[in-house]
Amino acid sequence: MNLGLSCVCRPVCWPFGSLLDSRHCVFALTLLTLLMQVVVEANSWWSLAMNPLLIPEAYIIGAQPLCSQLVGLSQGQKKLCQLYQDHMQYIGEGAKTGIRECQYQFRHRRWNCSTVDNSSVFGRVMQIGSRETAFTYAISAAGVVNAVSRACREGELSSCGCSRAARPKDLPRDWLWGGCGDNLNYGYRFSKEFVDAREREKSYPKGTYESARLLMNLHNNEAGRRTVSDLAHVSCKCHGVSGSCSLKTCWLQLADFRKVGDALKEKYDSAAAMKLNSRGKLVQMHSKFNAPTSHDLVYIESSPDYCLKNQSTGSLGTVGRLCNKTSEGMDGCELMCCGRGYDQYKAQIVERCHCKFHWCCYVKCKRCTKIVDQFVCK
Amino acid sequence: MLDGHLLLGWLSITLIVYLLSLPGPSAAYFGLTGNEPLSILPLNSLPEENVGRAHYKLCDRLKLEKKQRRMCRRDPGVAETLREAITMSALECQYQFRFERWNCTLEGRHRANILKRGFKETAFLYAVSSAGLTHAMAKACSAGRMERCTCDEAPDLENRKAWQWGGCGDNLKYANKFVKDFLGKRSNKDLRARVDMHNTNVGMKVIKAGVETTCKCHGVSGSCTVQTCWRQLLPFHEIGKQLKSRYEASVKVGSSTNEATGEGEISTGRGLQEPPPQPLPGLNDQIPRTMDLLHIEDSPSFCRPSKYSSGTAARKCYKDKNCDAICCGRGHNTQSREVTRPCQCQVRWCCYVECKQCTQREEVYTCKG
Repeated sequence: MNLGLSCVCRPVCWPFGSLLDSRHCVFALTLLTLLMQVVVEANSWWSLAMNPLLIPEAYIIGAQPLCSQLVGLSQGQKKLCQLYQDHMQYIGEGAKTGIRECQYQFRHRRWNCSTVDNSSVFGRVMQIGSRETAFTYAISAAGVVNAVSRACREGELSSCGCSRAARPKDLPRDWLWGGCGDNLNYGYRFSKEFVDAREREKSYPKGTYESARLLMNLHNNEAGRRTVSDLAHVSCKCHGVSGSCSLKTCWLQLADFRKVGDALKEKYDSAAAMKLNSRGKLVQMHSKFNAPTSHDLVYIESSPDYCLKNQSTGSLGTVGRLCNKTSEGMDGCELMCCGRGYDQYKAQIVERCHCKFHWCCYVKCKRCTKIVDQFVCK
Repeated sequence: MLDGHLLLGWLSITLIVYLLSLPGPSAAYFGLTGNEPLSILPLNSLPEENVGRAHYKLCDRLKLEKKQRRMCRRDPGVAETLREAITMSALECQYQFRFERWNCTLEGRHRANILKRGFKETAFLYAVSSAGLTHAMAKACSAGRMERCTCDEAPDLENRKAWQWGGCGDNLKYANKFVKDFLGKRSNKDLRARVDMHNTNVGMKVIKAGVETTCKCHGVSGSCTVQTCWRQLLPFHEIGKQLKSRYEASVKVGSSTNEATGEGEISTGRGLQEPPPQPLPGLNDQIPRTMDLLHIEDSPSFCRPSKYSSGTAARKCYKDKNCDAICCGRGHNTQSREVTRPCQCQVRWCCYVECKQCTQREEVYTCKG
C-alpha cells in the first residue's frame, strides 16, 4: 500500500519542490485516509432497512460472502450475521418498521425523519447527539425487538419458538395460559446483542465526546427495548361453548407498533439533557429536574436548526415542505416555514369515492378528482 | 399692510399646525391600552382631612389626557374605580391566556410593541380594557362609591306585576355614557384607529349583552309570590370567557379602495375569495357592523423571545393539555415537588371547617428552551 501512495505522492509533492520529503507526504496521506475513515464511519446497521434483503433461502448457499457484503455493519454485527443468518431479514424489517414509525411521528415537524441515502440512512444529522437522534436509536431498537419476536412466534427462525414466559400472577385462575405468544424475551436479548454490538466493541477515553455518545446510544437503545417490553400485554381468546367466554386462553402479545411510537414520542418530548461528569458518567445538566430512568430518552447536545439547509449539520431545511394553514402547532405555516412565508398552489387529488358493496363480496369505488389548496414553504 | 397679511398667514398656519398636532389614538386610551407603565398603584392610607383632595393625586398618577383628568377630578370615586378597572382587566387577561403562548405579560416594552401593531392580541386588549372599565364603573355606581350616580333606574314600568323592580341594580346606562366620553370618539380615516374603536365598542357591547335579571323571593314564608328583581352584570370572568372566544374567532380586515367611489373602505378577508358583498348604500366608510373582534395583521408565533413577548421558555405547562402547543415542539422538563394541601375537610358545628394537611408529590412541567 505504501508503494502505491508514494507513487501518488511524487507528482503531488513536486509542485512544492524538494522541501517536502516524500516520506512526510506518505505520512500525511495515510493520516488523511484514516481521518476520512472516521468521518465516513457514519454508516449504520440501519442500511439493512434500505437495501432489500434476499429471501432466507439465499443465505444457505454461500452464506459467508453475503454477510460481509452488507454495508454498515460493525465487526461484531458481522459475526452475529454469520451466526444467525436467518435473522438478518427480520432485522431489516425491524429497522424499516422503526423508520416508518419515526416518519409517522415526526410528519408534522421540521425534521421529519427523512432518509437521505442508502448507507448512512439519515445523513449527518445522526452525528449530533440531539433528541431526534435519541428517538431514532430508540425506535429502531424497538423495531428490531418487535420484528424478531414476531418472527419467533411465526416459526421463521430456527433458534426460537413461541414465548415461554411465565403465567402472570394477576391472571384470573380459570383462564388458560398458553397459546403462542410473541417471544419477547428472545427478541429483547437478540436486539440487545445486535444493536448494541457496535457500541460495545469500541472504547473511547474517559471524558471525550465519543464516550458520551456511546453511553447515550446505549441508554436510548435500552429505553426503546424497555418500552416494547412494557407495552406488551395479555391478549385472550374466548373459545367456550358456542364462542362464549367460559373458556379463555391467554398469551402474551406485543403492542401495536403505533403505540410504541406514541410512547417513545412522549419520551422524546420529556427527554433529559445530560453531560459528562468528571468520572466519565452521564449526569443531568440541570440537577433540579427529575433524573431520567432507564425508560427515558437522554441527549447530550441541543438540536441544530432544522429550518435552513446546512451541509455540516445535515439538516435538510423546510423549503418545499407542505404546511397546514389553519394549524397553530408545529405543522402550521408560521412555524414550519420559520417565518419565511409560503406559496399557495392548487393541486388535483384523485381519491376513491362513492364506494358500493356488491354481493358477494367486493367493494367497487369510483375515482373522484378534486382540487385542493396546498401550501408549500418558501 | 404686507406685514398684516403675513401675520395673518402665520397665525392661520400656527392654528392649523396646532389642530393637526392633536394627540394620536394612543393617548386617549386608558388602562391596558394606555401609555403608562402598568404598576398596580398601591394606595397609601390618607388622613381624614385630605379625603376631599386625595383623589386628585390618584388622578395625576394615572397618565390621563386633559379631558380624562377633568372627568377623573370631578368625582372622587372615579380614580379608585379606574384603578380597580385596570387591575381587573389585567388579571382577567392573564387568566384567560394562561394556557396560550402569549400569556398577556404586561410588563416592559412588550405591551407597548404589541399595541403598536394590529394583532388579535391588540384587539383583545382594547376590548377587555373597555369592558373592565364599564364593569367597574357600573358596580361602583351601585355600590355607592360614586357621587354622581347611584342604582339603576327602574326600567319597563309595564312589566309591573306581582313582582316589581327594586333592589339596587348595576347602573349600566351611566357606565356606558361615562366610558364613551372617557375614551373619546375618534372618527379618523385611519384604519387602525377605526379598528381600535370598533374593538372598544365590542367590549362595551359584550357587557351590555350580558345583563341578567336577578330576583329575590320574599313572599309568605319565603315563597316567590312577592319578588324583587334587579338587573345585574355577569361576573367579569364570564365576560372574559366571551371575549376570549371572540378573540379566537377574530376576523381579519384590510383596507381597500372602492373602485366606484374612489374612497377607502374596510373589507373583510372573506371578500378576497368570493365576490365582495354589496356595500350598503351610504355606508361606504364604516366597518362592518359585527360583534366580532377585528385585527389587521397576523400575529407572530410567540415561541421565541422577540420584542412582542419573552418567548415560551420556562413556561409552566400541563402535560396532557397543552405542553405540545406552548413549548413549540421544544419539549419539556419535569420537576417533582412536594405540595401540601388541605384535604379531608369536615364542617364542625358551628360554623367552621377543619381540614387535615396532606402532602403529595406532583410534577411540574416547564418548557425547554
